[in-house]
Amino acid sequence: MQTRLADFIRDTDDGREADRILRTCVHCGFCLATCPTYQILGDELDSPRGRIYLMKQLFEGASITHKTLKHLDRCLTCRNCETTCPSGVEYGKLIDLGRKHAERKAARPLSEQIKRRALAKFLPQENLFGGALKLGRMVKPFLPQTLAGKVPANPSHPDKGELGGISPSARHPRKMLVLAGCVQPALAPQINVAAARVLDAIGISLIEADNAGCCGAVSFHLNFQEEGLDAMRRNIDAWWPHIEAGAEAIVMTASGCGVTVKEYGHQLRHDTRYAEKAAKISALTCDMSEVLLNEEAALRGWLSGRGALEGKRVCFHAPCTLQHGQKITGVVEALLTVAGHTVLPISEPHLCCGSAGTYSLLESEISTQLRDRKLGHLSAAQPEVITSANIGCLTHLQSGTGIPVRHWIELL
Amino acid sequence: MISPDIIRRLQAILPPHCLLIAQEDVKPFETDGLTAFHSTPDVVALPETEDQVKAIIALCRETQTPIVFRGAGTGVSGGALPVDGAVLLAMTKFNRILSIDPLARIARVQPGVRNLAISEAAAPFSLYYAPDPSSQIACTIGGNVAENSGGVHCLKYGLTVHNILSVRVLTIDGEELVIGSEALDAPGYDLLALLTGSEGMLAVTLEISVKLLPKPERTQVVLAAFDEVEKGGAAVGAIISGGVLPAGLEMMDKLAIEAAEAYSHAGYPLDAEAILLVEVDGTQEEVSEDVMRVREILLASGATDIRTAKDEAEQKKFWAGRKAAFPAVGRLAPDYYCMDGTIPRKALPAVLKRMAELSTEYALPVANVFHAGDGNLHPLILYDANQPGEWEKAERFGADILEMCVAHGGSITGEHGVGIEKISQMCVQFGNAELQAFHGIKACFDPDGLLNPGKAVPTLHRCAEYGAMHVRSGNLPFPELPRF
Amino acid sequence: MQALQERIRTTHLPLRIRAGGTKDFYGQSLAGDILDVSAHRGIVSYEPGELVITAKCGTPLAEIETLLDEHGQMLGFEPPRFGAASSLGGTLACGFSGPRRPYSGSARDFVLGMEILDGTGQHLKFGGRVIKNVAGYDASRLMTGALGTLGVLVQASLKVLPKPQSELTLQFEMDEATALKHMNEWAGRPLPLSASAWQSGVLFLRLSGANNAVREAHAKLGGEPHLHGTEFWRLLRDHEAAFFSGDLPLWRLSLPACTPPLDLDGKQLITWGGAERWLKTNAAATEIRPRLAASGGHATLFAVGEKSVGVFHPLPAALMKYHARLKKLFDPRGILNRGRLYPDF
Repeated sequence: MQTRLADFIRDTDDGREADRILRTCVHCGFCLATCPTYQILGDELDSPRGRIYLMKQLFEGASITHKTLKHLDRCLTCRNCETTCPSGVEYGKLIDLGRKHAERKAARPLSEQIKRRALAKFLPQENLFGGALKLGRMVKPFLPQTLAGKVPANPSHPDKGELGGISPSARHPRKMLVLAGCVQPALAPQINVAAARVLDAIGISLIEADNAGCCGAVSFHLNFQEEGLDAMRRNIDAWWPHIEAGAEAIVMTASGCGVTVKEYGHQLRHDTRYAEKAAKISALTCDMSEVLLNEEAALRGWLSGRGALEGKRVCFHAPCTLQHGQKITGVVEALLTVAGHTVLPISEPHLCCGSAGTYSLLESEISTQLRDRKLGHLSAAQPEVITSANIGCLTHLQSGTGIPVRHWIELL
Repeated sequence: MISPDIIRRLQAILPPHCLLIAQEDVKPFETDGLTAFHSTPDVVALPETEDQVKAIIALCRETQTPIVFRGAGTGVSGGALPVDGAVLLAMTKFNRILSIDPLARIARVQPGVRNLAISEAAAPFSLYYAPDPSSQIACTIGGNVAENSGGVHCLKYGLTVHNILSVRVLTIDGEELVIGSEALDAPGYDLLALLTGSEGMLAVTLEISVKLLPKPERTQVVLAAFDEVEKGGAAVGAIISGGVLPAGLEMMDKLAIEAAEAYSHAGYPLDAEAILLVEVDGTQEEVSEDVMRVREILLASGATDIRTAKDEAEQKKFWAGRKAAFPAVGRLAPDYYCMDGTIPRKALPAVLKRMAELSTEYALPVANVFHAGDGNLHPLILYDANQPGEWEKAERFGADILEMCVAHGGSITGEHGVGIEKISQMCVQFGNAELQAFHGIKACFDPDGLLNPGKAVPTLHRCAEYGAMHVRSGNLPFPELPRF
Repeated sequence: MQALQERIRTTHLPLRIRAGGTKDFYGQSLAGDILDVSAHRGIVSYEPGELVITAKCGTPLAEIETLLDEHGQMLGFEPPRFGAASSLGGTLACGFSGPRRPYSGSARDFVLGMEILDGTGQHLKFGGRVIKNVAGYDASRLMTGALGTLGVLVQASLKVLPKPQSELTLQFEMDEATALKHMNEWAGRPLPLSASAWQSGVLFLRLSGANNAVREAHAKLGGEPHLHGTEFWRLLRDHEAAFFSGDLPLWRLSLPACTPPLDLDGKQLITWGGAERWLKTNAAATEIRPRLAASGGHATLFAVGEKSVGVFHPLPAALMKYHARLKKLFDPRGILNRGRLYPDF
């Protein structure tokens, strides 16, 4: 597409990046087909191509209002469009730039500013979030229904979970780091326990770095991009000694965090102090499924030694951050099958469940429609368990169904 | 510019989220799949109900306001290009599949339903909707009807006109007509054929009944590589006169192969000058026999490499590359201009040779994607819209290609439609009398010329002007018309 | 050609377009002086590798089909011939298609281009000789089935198809309802069907395709092979089968293929997988037409009988308005085949 970027941005890093991405778009419209918000709203302004055009206007110096910002906010950042795009438009990177500059040019209504500020402050801090969650659960019966639905029930207690026990000690010479994350320890501590136990069984110890916390995605995508970058730097500092000590990889059990950490290199590329380290960190980052794929032989050995597991009929909802963000497809399904489960096919497997980080809190109407559409497809297959790979999707889906929703690693 | 009074009346018809007025909101609708043409709409209507559509049509008729219809905006002839002073009416919210009758093999759908969504919905019954334009993932069936869209399986299964049974339309007079029927014919004139491909100039479609076909028991794709484009072209003729009617028969040249491979990793041979994709379908036995015959013919035609897809996944990959070939060319150059001429197949070597010469003359590369089975060429002219003068050059190059197609007994458009893009070339393909007949047909349905004005059929004056620019061998076209 | 144009231009009386005259029986009324187009004949071009044939409209169908046959090709819509003189133009003007129609397409589906003389004698060329062509409104297909009321067809280009390697006709004993169910179910499965008919308790099915494919489909479907299948379908196509004889009016009923058996007086023959039904009856049009309209179909008084009931199904007023406008556009003086389709047309 033709572009004529405005003076305010043309010769900046952001401007060059935006221009490069915009120029790869040929306006073919294929992306409309797989965009969740466009499926629901049918307005091109709520589609990738429409948003690209809105951003083009912005970068070309047109005056914009909060409406542009609203359409950009409504994007789930699921990046389904990137998978569909034949021209290779890096939409995810473009919308980060778009949001940043749109917010500078058009102010948000104050109420929204407060809401977003609160979420950005609150969610990334494990202690704050955990405490509030306990409080939320206590008062849940007294909350209005829309809010009550957002407060997840207590997870099965780690001590009494199917796998039982707690994380194994770091007894193996092979070590990998794991990110605890921000909301996951409070919502579903059993996930990382399960991951650690599976890896322990195939000869790898999983360790957590002190001081590592939220990956930065929450703040970054709420458009507090500097805070997000700070979180990234903090994690790099926390992990670096372990990397130097020989940790092989940084394992992600939440694909939303995974996609973010894999992009540290890109986000910090202009930071002379961190650029190199960030690139290295990104290169070492693996989704849990990738780790197991690489250790296939050991995994098969352990599974056959362990004896037959009671196979379940399961559906797998591939989080957007896994299939579109990290382009990992079919791996989890294969692992579940190897472990003896039956993975049932579902319709529209490419479509987002509507969770999308803080999206379910900020755009609850669209989010709920997408959740119900997704649950419709999932439950049509009549599974015993629904599995996924991201904490956001897990809690979001569970809020709309009685079928248990679990992280896939818990079924291994 | 549309008057504030009309805007006010539109506001009374549509809720705020269905009416876009601010520059910020309407600008993204200034172009469709053909970005070289753009014009900011005055107002964009996104109605949700048929009553709203009817009210808008009535308002436009009363106030003599033109209307331009838009589906997913994937068209590549500028058919949905906004017109000054018009309402841009996007039918995208009409995206429901109303019913599927597996025994009758009929799907009733709203115009905003995506082409591929019909086949997906019919899949549980082992049925599908046959026309598959490359943009089928996104393009709407309403747009397909307006453009009479084709696809890669036209040779055997036809275009949109062959695969729809009836449409319910609204005329500018506000009359609702059911045209065609769920029987195989309807009394009176074949208005269904007339409306299909009428580029939104005669009526607006509210509902469509499409024919569903049984999924073939088996399909098989054979990929053949050639060291000369001409050999590939000759192989196509040999396959067809050999008695095989392939479901799809596609050719790509070197540049197109390179781009498609970069997107799809289909395993196309990058050293080939051309590849042919031959898809045969039918029962197990038919396919086995046809594949054998096709392979023999390809071998005899000098193919340097012949591969048969080993499984469905590989077949899908072979096709994925082809289907995404247009936008994938976006990887080779910032912009491309896609042409859509058809020629009798025997003219292929001559046309390709001349096209290569033109490419050198204009200093613009051209990638060729070719529905070889039905003679439909899609040359993709690569250019950079940010370079002053490049688009104008590309446009002239394109016009030369289309006019060459007509000279060889072909047509300026096989499936994309005329839109705004090829309007001047209509003067080359048709004479004065035929163009007048087209204007007459338009006037039968839309006497005031309110629906998608200025598209598809050029005025005779425009042709006279165009003819003046194109005086050839001393003969002026339309000598009877005054010159400007 | 010039003579034809001159004749149209100078006449003050309606003209009745005629080549072989084998379809004089068809249509509302025959009015005016005969405009004989039978001399305007001959194949203009034929390229088997392009799958396209172009012929002048006075050319007998038989001549075209013989040539195609020599190259292993055929007209995909299997047009009927109501006599040796049946012409290409007459067939296209009537829009007649034969038994293969539901499986391969109708006459208009195969039309690629058409040249006509309009009601002022003007020579117009629509469409072309290539398989895909969407430039301009599709006036060629509009002419197909318009019964010459919009123009004198002078030349047509058609897509042709390769002939199948082999054909086999099967017979199954079954009642009407079961036959309708099977015809529709089988049409929804990937089988090499090319014709189907039911009459008097027997379902006839034709399979066409590669030798193996036909053999395998027979194995799947069962049924008794018909020893004279080719002749059976020819007689049916050309209305020479016994069903069509006799003095009772012959109605052609066109309706959605799934429509259950029609409870109408007289004897019926079902073709086109259930989508076309022939009725020999004395029943009144006022009984037949509402019944068809209720099923989403229409009824034509095809041959024999009192035409004052209206040969063709009446059109809704709104549709008729656009028909009248088109007629006026192409034939402003209303001289071409006036009254053949609808009164005053």
